[in-house]
Amino acid sequence: MTISAPRYGSLPFARTERAFRVLAIMKREVVRRARWGTLLAVGLSYAIVILMVVFDAEFASFIGNLTTATFEAPFESPVWPFLMLIVATTAGAGTIAEDVGNRSITLYLSRPIHLVDYLAAKAAACASWLVIAAVGPGVVGATIVAALGLAPAAVCLASLGAFVVVGLLAAVFFTGTALAFSSLTNRSLYAGVGIFGVILSLYVGAAVVAGITGSVYVPYASPVTDLRSVALTVFGVGGTPDTDPLASALVLLGAGVMLTGFAYWRLTRVEVVGE
Amino acid sequence: MAGGLVRVDSVFKRFGSVEALTNLTVELSSGTIGLVGPNGSGKTTLIRLLMGLLAPDAGTLTVLGHDSQRDSLRVRELVGYMPEHDCLMPDLTGIGFVAFMGRVSGLPREVAMSRAHDVLEFVGLREQRYRRINEYSVGMRQRVKLAQAIVHDPPLCFLDEPTSGLDPQGREEMLGLIRALSKIGNHSFVLSTHLLPDTEGLCDQVLLLNAGRRLASGRVDELLAVKNEDRVVRVKGDPSRFVAALSAKGLTPRLAEGEVRFTLLQGDTRPVFQAAFETGTEVRYLGRSVSTIEDLFLSLVNVVPVGPPT
Repeated sequence: MTISAPRYGSLPFARTERAFRVLAIMKREVVRRARWGTLLAVGLSYAIVILMVVFDAEFASFIGNLTTATFEAPFESPVWPFLMLIVATTAGAGTIAEDVGNRSITLYLSRPIHLVDYLAAKAAACASWLVIAAVGPGVVGATIVAALGLAPAAVCLASLGAFVVVGLLAAVFFTGTALAFSSLTNRSLYAGVGIFGVILSLYVGAAVVAGITGSVYVPYASPVTDLRSVALTVFGVGGTPDTDPLASALVLLGAGVMLTGFAYWRLTRVEVVGE
Repeated sequence: MAGGLVRVDSVFKRFGSVEALTNLTVELSSGTIGLVGPNGSGKTTLIRLLMGLLAPDAGTLTVLGHDSQRDSLRVRELVGYMPEHDCLMPDLTGIGFVAFMGRVSGLPREVAMSRAHDVLEFVGLREQRYRRINEYSVGMRQRVKLAQAIVHDPPLCFLDEPTSGLDPQGREEMLGLIRALSKIGNHSFVLSTHLLPDTEGLCDQVLLLNAGRRLASGRVDELLAVKNEDRVVRVKGDPSRFVAALSAKGLTPRLAEGEVRFTLLQGDTRPVFQAAFETGTEVRYLGRSVSTIEDLFLSLVNVVPVGPPT
């Protein structure tokens, strides 16, 4: 052990602004969540979406029927929302729960940041992984299609925009869900089971209940159905979706925001410093 | 320093039916301050209030001239905090953790890393700084907690039970580190502890709390001087007769655990020996009853009525 303490005299620099402190927390959280489950789900998302987009585009191009609707193929399959669910679970379940569990939240909140800054950093980190998984593959797929000359640039650009819209909507919803469940417990496993179980239950349950009752409102309870309705519309696919796309988009956005608000409320109940 | 180091004015804080702090008013100046009291006396609640992590039910708190509620971000820029419990980030290395906490405290990246190296070397973790925290022993964890509290060079540092869980050697080393830090100019420490000997020889001021109430506060030497007239006597023979004889001489003795405690009148010890002579007892020991903060605390707990919250 050394016998003299470090001496600095006065601070020879300007302190960083709050935004940079939030960014520092977010960056650490993004790196921290780069676990095998997250990376596997993201990798699968890229592989599946890009393959579907490129092959469908090539086939549609061959038969001379290529439109933006061709790019909607990944949303017709339950695989895409399932992968988003995995990313939300692996990247989001522990985001608050682990900090509460190991009580490092005490250290975060003893620093010059507000509770809302902490939550914003955590939300941004979780959303980053979801955006990488939800928006990235479609964007890359559309770019590859354009680069291969399989579709006109305008179609690819429009598809790219559609991927961004649907991907961001999914990111908002799944981020809110992950934060809410993560704030409920100090075990990331429990939070993960909660996220997975509730979304799957809503997907299956809404379909069953809607089938029995014939209600036109019940399908809105299924985030997967809501996302598909929005995707059908923004990609310009014909036909009538199960739900009104605008209402579905509002449901997803509203749920995402409200669940994030719920996570904030839960955090205000967390003991910052144990007695 | 405008407004002193810490100013607490008529603060009340209640958690449900439990009154954590009751009409607490105290002013502390720069230095090393012992925040002393038994578990549940309100020490941690006071720290939480001072850092703006809790809002008082009534009253105001000022830290380094800043209102801890209205200007809590500024307060937290200027203070460091070493929590009592284990709250580290086990997936990080020591250096990564301390540098990260520096960045969240507002240090630029390069400065945070540079200071992380400095403070880890200071706390004796130079060789272990690249090891993950989940491989650290209890003593190393306490040291890295101290390192993260001082990485941003705060003028005031709250240390909550810094010797908790340490063996005697580790405790001495931790107190030595705090002692070394306290010798740096313009750096103050609030050392919260229920281990009163930790404050001996380290703190120049003390705030004694019990059941959310202030028992005493101020400079240690002044507080001990006030109680300078208190004496303790151990006698061979019947102490109850000796107590009765002392009472007859106008003193107010208390018999506890075989010892007789009383306050001298004008520094005069002759009544003690007269009472011993009259009762046939033998004075085996006569000395000051308050010579340490622990003695002071115990004497005040006996004197100050502390009832249940009303």
